[in-house]
Amino acid sequence: MKDTGEILHQLKVSNLTKSFGTVQVLRNISFSLQAGTSVAITGPSGSGKSTLLHIIGTLEKPTDGEVEINGTDPFSLSEPLLAQYRNDVMGFVFQDHHLLPQYSVLENVLIPTLAFKQKPNASELAKELIERVGLLDRITHRPAELSGGERQRVAIARALINQPSILLCDEPTGNLDTNTASNIADLLFNLHNINQNILIVVTHNLELASRFENCLDLVDGECIKGISGSD
Amino acid sequence: MRNLWVTIRHYWHIHLTVALCTAVATGVLAGALIVGDSMRGSLQNITLERLGSIQHAIIADHFFENTIAIPYIESDLVASHNTVPAIMLNGSVTAVGSDHRASRVNIYGVKKHFFNLWEKQRVPTFTDSPENPGLDIVINETLQNELNVKIGDSIIVSIPQAFEIHPEFLLGQRDETASIKRLRVVISDIIPTEDAGRFSLHAHQSLPMNAYISLPTLQKALSIAKNNIVNALFSVDTTPITPDMVSFTLDELGLSINEHRDYFDLQSDQFLIKSTLSKDAISVATENNIPVLSTLTYLANSITASAPSEDPTADKVSVPYSTILALPVEIGEFAEFLNLHLTDSDRIAYSQARILEIRTQVSDQLKTLDEIKSKLNSVDEEITKLKRTPERNKHSQEFKMKLTETEETVLDIKNRLSSVANPIEVFEIYLNEWTANDLGVKIGDKVDVTYFNVNVNEEYSSVVRQFILRGIVPIEKIAADINLIPDFPGVSDSNDISEWDPPFPFDNSLIRAKDEAYWDEYKSAPKAFISLETGKKLWENRFGDLTTIRMTSSLNLDLNESRRLFESELLKKVDPEQLGFQFLNLRSEGLQSAKGSSDFGMLFSSMSGFIIIAVALLVGMVFRIGVEQRSREIGILQAVGYPLTRIRRSFLLEGTVISFFGCLLGCLLAVGYANLMIYGLKTWWLPAIGTPFLKVHVGFWSLICGTFVSFIVIMFTIYRTIGKMGKISTVSLLEGESDFANSSSSKHKEKNTRISGRKLLIIVAVVIGLFLGIMDTGRTFTGDWSSIINILIIGSILLLTFRVSLRWFLKKKPNQNSELTNQNVRSLTIYYCSSIFIGVMLTIIPFVRAFAEIVVNVLENPAVRFLTVTSIVMGLSLLFFEYWLNSHRESKRLSRMQFTLKNSARQPTRSRTCVATISLACCIIVAVGANRQESTPESEFAFIAESSLPLHHSLNTAEGRFELGFDEEESEVLSKSVIYPFRVLPGEDVSCLNLYRPEKPQIIGASGSLLSDDTWKHLREFKSANGRIAAIGDENSLRWILHHNPDEDLVIEDEFGESLSLKLKTIKNSLFQSQLIISESDFTKHFPSQNGYQFFLLKTPTEMQAKTSQILEKTLQDYGFDVTLASQRLANFRSVQNTYISTFQSLGGLGIILGTLGLALVLLRNIMERKGELATLRAFGFRRGLLSRMLFLESSFLLIIGMSIGIVTGLFGVFNSLGELPTFPWISLTITLLFILSFGIIANAIAVFFALRMPLLSTLKSE
Repeated sequence: MKDTGEILHQLKVSNLTKSFGTVQVLRNISFSLQAGTSVAITGPSGSGKSTLLHIIGTLEKPTDGEVEINGTDPFSLSEPLLAQYRNDVMGFVFQDHHLLPQYSVLENVLIPTLAFKQKPNASELAKELIERVGLLDRITHRPAELSGGERQRVAIARALINQPSILLCDEPTGNLDTNTASNIADLLFNLHNINQNILIVVTHNLELASRFENCLDLVDGECIKGISGSD
Repeated sequence: MRNLWVTIRHYWHIHLTVALCTAVATGVLAGALIVGDSMRGSLQNITLERLGSIQHAIIADHFFENTIAIPYIESDLVASHNTVPAIMLNGSVTAVGSDHRASRVNIYGVKKHFFNLWEKQRVPTFTDSPENPGLDIVINETLQNELNVKIGDSIIVSIPQAFEIHPEFLLGQRDETASIKRLRVVISDIIPTEDAGRFSLHAHQSLPMNAYISLPTLQKALSIAKNNIVNALFSVDTTPITPDMVSFTLDELGLSINEHRDYFDLQSDQFLIKSTLSKDAISVATENNIPVLSTLTYLANSITASAPSEDPTADKVSVPYSTILALPVEIGEFAEFLNLHLTDSDRIAYSQARILEIRTQVSDQLKTLDEIKSKLNSVDEEITKLKRTPERNKHSQEFKMKLTETEETVLDIKNRLSSVANPIEVFEIYLNEWTANDLGVKIGDKVDVTYFNVNVNEEYSSVVRQFILRGIVPIEKIAADINLIPDFPGVSDSNDISEWDPPFPFDNSLIRAKDEAYWDEYKSAPKAFISLETGKKLWENRFGDLTTIRMTSSLNLDLNESRRLFESELLKKVDPEQLGFQFLNLRSEGLQSAKGSSDFGMLFSSMSGFIIIAVALLVGMVFRIGVEQRSREIGILQAVGYPLTRIRRSFLLEGTVISFFGCLLGCLLAVGYANLMIYGLKTWWLPAIGTPFLKVHVGFWSLICGTFVSFIVIMFTIYRTIGKMGKISTVSLLEGESDFANSSSSKHKEKNTRISGRKLLIIVAVVIGLFLGIMDTGRTFTGDWSSIINILIIGSILLLTFRVSLRWFLKKKPNQNSELTNQNVRSLTIYYCSSIFIGVMLTIIPFVRAFAEIVVNVLENPAVRFLTVTSIVMGLSLLFFEYWLNSHRESKRLSRMQFTLKNSARQPTRSRTCVATISLACCIIVAVGANRQESTPESEFAFIAESSLPLHHSLNTAEGRFELGFDEEESEVLSKSVIYPFRVLPGEDVSCLNLYRPEKPQIIGASGSLLSDDTWKHLREFKSANGRIAAIGDENSLRWILHHNPDEDLVIEDEFGESLSLKLKTIKNSLFQSQLIISESDFTKHFPSQNGYQFFLLKTPTEMQAKTSQILEKTLQDYGFDVTLASQRLANFRSVQNTYISTFQSLGGLGIILGTLGLALVLLRNIMERKGELATLRAFGFRRGLLSRMLFLESSFLLIIGMSIGIVTGLFGVFNSLGELPTFPWISLTITLLFILSFGIIANAIAVFFALRMPLLSTLKSE
């Protein structure tokens, strides 16, 4: 896992605003998170949860406001550097797992390592992660041969392969039944505890949200319930 | 219907693609058929244009009176003005005052009404009055361009002089001055090379060079006395002219009857009566009880008393230039005459001399046999020694010399044996008293007769034959009858022998006073008599076997009645076609030929066939993409209760409507495509057709047929695609499962589409095994054991490679390929060996054996072999590729490259379709392109030469060159060359240069000097018998232009109308692609009336080539002698072949475009489907550039795989069908393939560029 001993990871979001044309999706969102903290972003559909997650994940640029990660504004980086930054710092888990059907579990997990020069121990790390998510016996299987929960586990392992400082999950249990969703949530928290990274999860599931240390409740793009300790 | 329209409009982009693909398929197929229509239509147009309203014709190799057609005119309402007489000759023309000349010019002697045979033809200006013939000539524009002349210019026309006696007979005229007629004429008009200006009897698309002289002028020039004498008669009436509809006189047949007091004699203008005619005449006479006396007269150079054996140097008396009459001596008038004058003592004296002669001959033969025996012993010893020579010494000079010596000895033995094998012959002769007295010989003495023979090279050779004098007869009655002796030209009409002017070498210094006295008293009365049997043996030749047939009155008729009866019966019996008349149905034969030597429609269609397949694959893929795109819609419809059949029906209806509109669009495209192809044939690919004569002819049925076939193909493809709908469950459809071809949710499907490695390898083993088994057995039928061994060796190598590869594979991947166990390797080997065994064993059953023979025979056809081999290789390659796509190989360490390549397996069916399309096109391009010949063609000969008029003297001898008009210096230059002459039977070009289907191929007779070469072994060694002779022809010309299987005899008609089977041997890419070659001896036997040499091959030292060519063309310009570089002639043939190759490669290029289009579509569709995946990759830090490269590499990989399979398959196919790889056109093929690769890469790059411009990240949002 990434050494976080010397630099304490910090995510700071200040006065974040995002508009699509005349529609303002996010309004003055501000919060900050330290390494080892987790936050659930909740709110009704269309409240801007996924947009916020994408901006934090540098997939989208904010209209206004700032995002700082360890004091760096990632949006000031050029496109290639931003891609590398994302590859190093971010891990993503989506509601649709977006696994590549032609690859095995192991290969799917290894995919993020191919974006830049592959680490020599990538395969070992991938197997370790697969073991942690409990799929070592399915390592050669293809996504089509896995259940929904298993696919999401593979997606989580894939998100962690580059030991990201921030793990961003967009409705990771949205397509799963209650039991499976609970198992996935357990897995996420376990791994979060081990890795001590920042865990941000967008969810509609209030039960799941209640298990997080912090909760950010968005309504019409505004934060009605902030994170404890933030501005 | 509204729903249908709404759906079509909503998914317009997919439907438009399907419609466009259908349009392309229709356009290509119907367009190809239209190209065929256009070729046929244009050739038909030329035929109709060149013939005008001419329907039928009578032509002959000699002149005849045009009154022969009177019964035809009177027979069936044929108006007399509907027949037009003409003289047709082949000649050369030279412009006065310039070096411009033209050979192989059609010279027509016509009257003005000849031009009325063409509706649009104006009558040109020239004088055709019989009273004032004039010296005008009309030429066509093609000839004008060749000569660079204008109206009013003078030109010299050289034409062959008409002969009564064949120039190659002893009494025939061969001098240039006598055989060529030169005519200086003034150009009075020039007509375009269309209508009458294009008139020609020969079907060829090239523009003829025509000259028209007034008929009276030409008749006068040819010294034809009567104004109704012609050699061609044309009829515009649709009633065919048949032999029984013409009335001949004996005159037209070249015969005459001389009536005397007690008998009448049948003689020929050509001195010798053709053997067919003489047989008919004797047969008619016998049938009508008319007594016949057949005689054969020949001219001896000398009759000499043989020197006594005890004193060979003794002076011999010789009687010069005497006629000898051969006639029946045992029965008939001469036998009765002999009985009157020969005594018993004469008979005893002759018998004793005969016995002595036989004894001498037997003794000589025994001596020869002894010599042969001793030679055989020495040869036997020599052969034993040679056999014992160690292998390493067999290449030494000494060994080779000994081998040559032995071969020569064997040859000598053979010759001696053949002389011994001849029966003992004693020739007997009767002399008249005058000659016997002059020679001082008595009965039983030997007499030498010397005479000329004209050998096969048209040279006089002096022959001496020894006879025993059997009798001496007085010069009276039949022995003094000069009526039996036909007129010798230059001889009979002379007052003195010294005034003789015969065509053969004549030495008047030999004439003595007593000879002149004999001539004065007895004229040409024969001095010697021999039996008719002996006479025929010595002097019968291809021109005839008798000179006079004497007949007396029938038992119950007087002489005059007998003569009339004989004449009428003979004319009834004679077949005019055997006497050089041809009855031509010009229009129907012309239109038949216009169907073309190659069916361009079928040619283009078959070459377009793979484009149709490519389009079908593409349509299938596009339509499937369209259906897959609507998988949720199908799922919902199924969920709400729509039966699958109804859903399928609605999709089928959509497909039908789209295909219908696509086909309609395709019809327009077809016309455009055909126009483009025709434009191509008239410009870029002009060498393929020679002249830009093509015009587009849109055939209604071609359009319908092309449209129908492509509609059926497309509908079948769509139907098959729709049929796969039911194989995905409704739930899976609702979940968005869309890969119909490779649905993972259906186990049933998986079983059917995925070919397991084991299954695949079993198929390979069985296919190879069966093929080798059957092929091996097939080879044993032909006794080709060496090829069986080769095949078995190749088979064993394949098997070994197979096993080693499998073992290596298993060792490397022990876990992932549990299906490929060692046990399976063993079972595969058993499968393989069993298949070979089964293949062999099956052929034991007669039916299967017959079937195997048919298979082997069919596989002998290069085209079939090519198709079979390419299908097998491509099929197996695609199976292997599919196996790879479906295999679940794992890599311990995933690299970017592996990651990228594996992406191509995401949609295996689409990837396979793209690869199949590209490989098909590449295979065509390589297979066709590999035959392109780029190197400069080489020939052992420097020149090929053709002359319009036949040459009768050898270009290889100083005497021959002198006779032909070469001066000493020129003769010296020519002596450095070796010239091989060929006789020519005029006919049609059978090479790829002729687009018409040849009905009568040109045949040439190769002279003996050439036949010594190994290439001509077939002609030299084949024993001609029963109308079957050896012939050599170009394989491509035979197979593709004459459409004849070279393994079978080609049957043609000889000059006598008899069938002649040509036992063929093929050569390839030679100078002889335009004609068939037979030996000169066979040629003169079966086409005796053809004279001289008109085709030549020259071996000339490089430094002498320019001068040689110049001298030949200049000195022999009157003969229309054209010299062409042999390499140039070969280059012309190659140019046609290479142009065809370019044409078909262009079609291959179209296939590549379609394949690449498919690839781009697949790429775009894959990207659309993988937006989520790609967005995820972007989220994980994959830069846009990296993604682009990966996608680009992914599709380029498919392109390269497709090209590789195509290239390997193409090369394999070519190698297999030709037995070797042709001289490989590295440059053009590499450039073509690089171009294809570049095109594909650029298309991929464009597709990737546009695909990645669409927003990806939005797909990641769960909201």
